[in-house]
Amino acid sequence: MILDILMNGLITGSTYALLAIGFSLIFGVARIVNIAHTAFYMVASYIIYFCIQKLGLHPLWASLVAVIVVTLAGLVSYKFFIDPIREHEGAVLIATIALAMAMQEILLLIFKGDYLTVPSLISGYLSIFGVKVFYQQILTFGMALLILAALWALLMKTRLGLAIRSTAEDREVANLMGMDESRVAMMTMGISVGLAGLTGVVIVPLTTLSPFMWMNPLVMMMAVVVLGGLGSIKGSFVGAYILGFAVTLVVFLIPMGAYLKDSVALSIMILVLIIRPEGLFGVRFEEER
Amino acid sequence: MKKITFGLSVLFIIFCAATISIPAWGADVIKIGVIGPMNFLQGKGHWNGALMAQEEINAKGGIQVGDKKMKIKLVKADSNEFMNVTDATNAMERLMTQDKVDFVVGGFRSEAVLAMQDIAMDYKKVFIGCGAAHPELCTRVAKDYDRYKYFFRGTPFHSGNLVKTCFIQMATVGAILKKELGLPKIKVAIVAEKAMWADPMIKAAEGFIPKMGMEVVGVWRPSATATDVTAELSATQRSGAQMIFTIFSSSVGIPFARQAGELKVPAVQVGINVEAQKDGFYEATQGYGNYVETLNTYCRSVEFNELTKPFIDTYVAKYGETPTYTADTYAAIVYGLAPSIEKAGTIDSDKVLSVLEDSVYKTPSGVVKYTKTKDGKHLHDLTWGPGYTTSLGAQWQDGKLMGTWPTPHWKYKDSPEVNYKGIVPYKIPPWVIDYYKK
Amino acid sequence: MGIFGFYLKKLYTIFKGEVLVLPSRVVVVLFVLALIFLPVFTENQYLLRIMVLTSIFAIFAASWDLLSGFTGQMNFGHALFFGVGAYTTALVNLHAHLPPWASIPLGALAAVLAGLIIGIPCLRLKGTYLALTTLSFPIILIGLVYSFPDLTGGELGLSGLDRLSGSRLSDYYITAGLMLGLCTIMWKITESNTGTIFHAIREDEVAVRASGINTTRYKLLAFCLSGFFAGISGGLYAHFMRIAGPSTLDMSMSFTVIIWAIFGGIVTIYGPVAAVFILYPLMEFFQLWPEYRMLLFAAVVLFTLLYMPDGLIPWLRDKAETECPRCKVKNIATRKKCRICTADLD
Repeated sequence: MILDILMNGLITGSTYALLAIGFSLIFGVARIVNIAHTAFYMVASYIIYFCIQKLGLHPLWASLVAVIVVTLAGLVSYKFFIDPIREHEGAVLIATIALAMAMQEILLLIFKGDYLTVPSLISGYLSIFGVKVFYQQILTFGMALLILAALWALLMKTRLGLAIRSTAEDREVANLMGMDESRVAMMTMGISVGLAGLTGVVIVPLTTLSPFMWMNPLVMMMAVVVLGGLGSIKGSFVGAYILGFAVTLVVFLIPMGAYLKDSVALSIMILVLIIRPEGLFGVRFEEER
Repeated sequence: MKKITFGLSVLFIIFCAATISIPAWGADVIKIGVIGPMNFLQGKGHWNGALMAQEEINAKGGIQVGDKKMKIKLVKADSNEFMNVTDATNAMERLMTQDKVDFVVGGFRSEAVLAMQDIAMDYKKVFIGCGAAHPELCTRVAKDYDRYKYFFRGTPFHSGNLVKTCFIQMATVGAILKKELGLPKIKVAIVAEKAMWADPMIKAAEGFIPKMGMEVVGVWRPSATATDVTAELSATQRSGAQMIFTIFSSSVGIPFARQAGELKVPAVQVGINVEAQKDGFYEATQGYGNYVETLNTYCRSVEFNELTKPFIDTYVAKYGETPTYTADTYAAIVYGLAPSIEKAGTIDSDKVLSVLEDSVYKTPSGVVKYTKTKDGKHLHDLTWGPGYTTSLGAQWQDGKLMGTWPTPHWKYKDSPEVNYKGIVPYKIPPWVIDYYKK
Repeated sequence: MGIFGFYLKKLYTIFKGEVLVLPSRVVVVLFVLALIFLPVFTENQYLLRIMVLTSIFAIFAASWDLLSGFTGQMNFGHALFFGVGAYTTALVNLHAHLPPWASIPLGALAAVLAGLIIGIPCLRLKGTYLALTTLSFPIILIGLVYSFPDLTGGELGLSGLDRLSGSRLSDYYITAGLMLGLCTIMWKITESNTGTIFHAIREDEVAVRASGINTTRYKLLAFCLSGFFAGISGGLYAHFMRIAGPSTLDMSMSFTVIIWAIFGGIVTIYGPVAAVFILYPLMEFFQLWPEYRMLLFAAVVLFTLLYMPDGLIPWLRDKAETECPRCKVKNIATRKKCRICTADLD
């Protein structure tokens, strides 16, 4: 049982971490609450499904196509719908909601409302101490860690990463220091949406596709980001695993109440916020004038 | 420029208003509204079944109403009931006031159908429900006959009978397991999605399963839209269950079957799994959904009576997939409404319904006879049982959905024997046999 | 003639001097008249139904603006008030058999209580944190609703409620009247001292506190007022639809009201009202193309935002009216000189 919880918690946590960090990045740098983040993840999943099931591509090629297409889509929608209205926070907010809805409807039109699945990259399972774990789950977990490590390297070790971090800290001063703020925002958007696409690649064999699948991860992802503190990558990472384990504990320990897992996770988030209003690792934002 | 734009906007608004208020078609057609979630399989079933009915009837020149023949005209209404109950009621109202339909068939989600029923009753139009199993839809008829008499249940039979059929299926499979695998007492795990319709079924199951000589080892309630059920599966395996009684109507049916198959859980799945009734289930579970058994209405190889095969064959030829139970809009129109209208000689709702409620007629899924309460009040619900409708137990065998229940020579209490054509024996999954025969 | 004629002439002068002067006021008067006289021109039950629902949602959207627009407390879970109002009204109606005119205010009071309950943890939160926390509350409540299906009817909700009133026509006048009345009250609140303080809290809470005003009390007041009006709309909805289900707490309900409000222009009260009256019938009109309906809606919103990021109504108002630089009075944009102080307008 403990091992079940451990494995499941790690995998759920990694999923949340992947989504949350992408979301947190774009918020930290450009102050954009991208409600459509999980919608991009959904689009990537559908592209993979289409490539594998309809075009017969190998999953690796399908993943590549999906990530590239989704990143392009993200950049294009940013340029045309969000960049022009960046100064109006409220407008940006509903623009992203409208984008998410548009993506949902387009997918509904093309694929209808039926549930679809994608075959696992590696099928079968193995028994660790009597607990059955899918190879695909281990793969997912491994890939998640890999991506997170790559992201950390990008942010800490490269010049682009430095630019992103400093823009996130203080947009105006970064501008003064010679970093083209809007270009940095654009690149961050690309990385963020690319991350969403990669998440799709990694999780899609474990889940069922439907045009409405963006809503549920959205809530959990936002809870993770808020819990960890907006704009803090470390916070999103930690928060993801905390909530991942919380959800797993609920499902395992209260079988009759598995449907309550979202409510429990959100209650934890609220409790933490009452005690520490800026989240676990969040930075108190000064009023930006 | 501003004035022109302003003028154009005004014209646009007037145009919108005009389109909405323009009344519908001409006379000499019977307008039948088909309401359902058109973006989903259930709504498509509603529409396709009705379309088949329209084509068949109009090919014969229409329905004889009194001294003239009237053709059928269908009006499609997307209720969007999965997403938005308000949309569903608006759609029903639009059917009533804008399109001025004479009859309505369809509906799926019980919450929405309860609301849509009220509207149809307000306008006193016959509404045949083809999808919602909630008993209240028909108990309302008995409680307030004058208001609700216009409602009839077309399909499925109400949830109480669903439970009964499940238990009989479980007993049948349990007996097979006992015999083939030499198990002394069958342990049953109940896995039901968290949804209201499942609650009374679980209670009934917990009470009834011991009476069938089996043991309940646990109850699990995953979320109806869960995508990962390894927690529940590990737990059921740990409990030693040999049979899993599934109560799923939503998407969780797919990952459950898939993961159970992938993990080779040593238990058979029996019960209700609506996703498993669909043609695409095998592909959706990547083949791991083999050997899943579920309650079902139509199987390509099973014939309830002489009407079944022509219906299924025509449907498959036209639409490329097996009809689900929502396609019983076909039966509702062709065998229910049309003869009643002809017999009544008019399309007046009151006269048609009094003919309909007393008729007993054959449909591709059996025989329809409307029930009454113990003190003779009309319920307009479907009679269950041999000789009427029993539905099927269907099992996925090698990529095809085959009918495995009612087994030949099945009798229920003192009914006559039931022998449907095309029933095949139930197959136990090979890994289950291996596990228990050690 | 005499006295009667005198007052009539006075009314006319006031009308000419105050109302006809500004296009926005003319529009408001026309709107009110259109609303009142619509049933005279049409008996179409379907159209009346749409208008009833539009009025209900207009109250809902305006209440969001009061909280999130004016007071700056971004509320992503406004459906909570709507749902609490609807469910309480339903419970009171079904179990205590109270008629709508009693059950709806009780539903609204329950929503006020909900406002207090969620307002307190939200006091220290700002901006996005606040938004995401408020998003969680309806979700938690849905979990509770499913946990007690005997009380709340689970996912089927509570059905069999009384009608709002005897006929569709009286339903229409009740909701339209309430909408006009409540929105006017909300507008008056924003024009009052309290409203000014709300607005100030949005702009700079620290400064308000430095001025010696207890912002906690005012923020809680905003939550409660907003909850009250949203609760009324929830109760009206429950009685009109005769069913109160978990769809009233749905995330899409919260998001849709935010879209309406921002589309129409926040910090105005009349903006969201106008947006609902434009968008909701438009959505029904789009029923002609059922598969593309939501897509068209999203497209309309996206493209409108590109050109009018502050909202539709403020943009229109901007085009139609200018403010006099000297006396700060609004004038119609076609004028060259201010109507009060004759300063140049350009």
